[in-house]
Amino acid sequence: MKNIFAVALGVLTAIGGFVDIGDLVTNAVVGSRFGLGLAWVVLVGVVGICVYAQMSGRVAAVSGRATFEIIRERLGPRAGLANLAASFLINLLTVTAEIGGVALALQLATSVDPGWWIPVAAFGVWVVIWRARFELLENVTGLLGLTLIVFAVALFMLSPDWGELAGQALQPGPPADEPVATYWFYAVALFGAAMTPYEVFFFSSGAIEEKWTEKDLAKSRLNVLVGFPLGGLLSIAIAGCAAVVLLPAAIDVTSLSQVVLPVAEAGGKIALAFVIVGILAATFGAALETTLSSGYTLAQYFGWSWGKFRKPAKAARFHLSMIVCLLIAVGILATGVDPILVTEYSVVFSAVALPLTYLPILIIANDREYMGDRVNGRGMNFVGQVYLVIILAAALAAIPLLIITGAGA
Amino acid sequence: MILSDLLGSDAFDAEGRRLGAVLDVRLEISGAPAQLLAETVVTGVLVSSHSRFSTWGYERRGEDGPFLIAWLQRRLHRGSFLVAWDDVELVDVGRVVFRAAYEQLDPMLPQAPREA
Amino acid sequence: MNDHHEHDPGHEHDRGDEQDAGRRMPRRDPRAPRGRVLDAHLHLLDRQVLDREGVPVTTVDDLELDGIELGVRIQPGSPPPTLAAILTGPQLLMRLFGGHAPAARRIAIPWKLVSEVGTTVRLGVDADSLDASWVERWVSRHLIGRIPGGRHDPE
Repeated sequence: MKNIFAVALGVLTAIGGFVDIGDLVTNAVVGSRFGLGLAWVVLVGVVGICVYAQMSGRVAAVSGRATFEIIRERLGPRAGLANLAASFLINLLTVTAEIGGVALALQLATSVDPGWWIPVAAFGVWVVIWRARFELLENVTGLLGLTLIVFAVALFMLSPDWGELAGQALQPGPPADEPVATYWFYAVALFGAAMTPYEVFFFSSGAIEEKWTEKDLAKSRLNVLVGFPLGGLLSIAIAGCAAVVLLPAAIDVTSLSQVVLPVAEAGGKIALAFVIVGILAATFGAALETTLSSGYTLAQYFGWSWGKFRKPAKAARFHLSMIVCLLIAVGILATGVDPILVTEYSVVFSAVALPLTYLPILIIANDREYMGDRVNGRGMNFVGQVYLVIILAAALAAIPLLIITGAGA
Repeated sequence: MILSDLLGSDAFDAEGRRLGAVLDVRLEISGAPAQLLAETVVTGVLVSSHSRFSTWGYERRGEDGPFLIAWLQRRLHRGSFLVAWDDVELVDVGRVVFRAAYEQLDPMLPQAPREA
Repeated sequence: MNDHHEHDPGHEHDRGDEQDAGRRMPRRDPRAPRGRVLDAHLHLLDRQVLDREGVPVTTVDDLELDGIELGVRIQPGSPPPTLAAILTGPQLLMRLFGGHAPAARRIAIPWKLVSEVGTTVRLGVDADSLDASWVERWVSRHLIGRIPGGRHDPE
């Protein structure tokens, strides 16, 4: 049982990266329009995040330095500030969306208007960050979030035509009725969602919260190899369910109820109950992850004391910044904006911030002053550089595609 | 003097020819014993003829991974050299002037000990 | 003349000896280092500063060098400049956007408080004893400390 919890950090990080509220909806949208034709992007994204999370986890364990500290050290304060501004904005938008998502999930469960749930959700997130130990936080949300496996179960129960699904997956390319630009827009969005910078900020800071050292490198690797592929699998399962149920019926995904429709169809009320618990845990977990990420990135750029392992009075500015972040998120939601629309934009912007995050990680993973003998091997460097090129391509294509396709309309 | 005012200054030789920009300042922890560490003194100035700014130091250290980045960085900062502080004649706002017989030294850093 | 710390007798002696030595041979030849060698921008700027217990205090936003007079010819054999302090606070804005803050507004951590330089800069004193951590102390005492549970360890 203890071993399951050992990978909680990896699982929680992956949940925030692959099945938070934005991804839940995006995956369902993609499945309902392209079938499994974009599954290859998820695979590419999973490998990419595994490679870089592995590097940043190793850097944190061996040198004790979290990723954003390194970003400022290696890129200088100006580029570091640009990254901070972009990352902070993305985190803020994502926190907003997640709190909105928690409220929407609670609405699914109780039919009470989400407007009432928003302050409750924000307060809940804050209380957990304020008082709960890091291990408790990651174990509970990680474990509960795993109930999203019900999507995979539902996919099986729907007895789909596996041949047709495989056909969609193995023939990457837009279907006849969708423009090419929209296909690539969603490809970039899915890739950006899989490799969102806050995943490595959270993973490396979490490694330091858990006080990993050189002896924990195997544990770090296990977290990465279990967590992210699992996240990718869940992503594909959600898209698959949508492909099987929503695509043939040409149902558009506009809210959470369409996302869970396939599961309700497959397994009835019990499955629905599981998926609601799963979505609640996943959005709550993602809210925790992104709120903590905002705190981590600010504190690490400016050199403030940070960490949940310290009492709040000893990491005062860290906690203050997270409180402010949550208050702003509630403020944004109070204006009535659709939180899911907010995330679709933030996912694309995170693609733009990717190169500024991943380049320093690759550099430091090769630096003997930080890593001693644990520098990257040639294989890791090769894959890392290949991905750097992919990341640059995605970053450059993101905004033009956003404009051309009108955010994938 | 504040370090960031010195960094990026233009470097000139005694005849007034511009050699490049000040990339960094080389220090040594070897002065008189002070409270906790020995005093840290300036031993030289790093000049680059092609760039103003180097945060990764590939041109001064033996690190060579990852391959593409190391190659690109070495090209960007080729023509970097070290000048001993004794060869510095004048420091002014935005410029540093070297003595007539200044020497261009190898910019490589000695192997630094890894943090325990 | 150079302005060194007057209350540093060890350094006074050093300066005397080495002015004699300086006329005979170059001082601090960077080719023959006698101690740990580092580059100011590469190894010190933008690094984390941790206190004696390992608690982050700030980042090295800039450094102050003592012993450089602008526009004045440096006599051969005169003592080299020394690293005087880590600068933080408003200096970060100056570094990002240019300009100078008046000396009274500068927040400096004297270099003599540094006990170790590795991938971070470690001080030999506690954060609470420094001017540089006044904002943290203020937020802690007046904002965070007032929220219930703020002074307790997480459970």
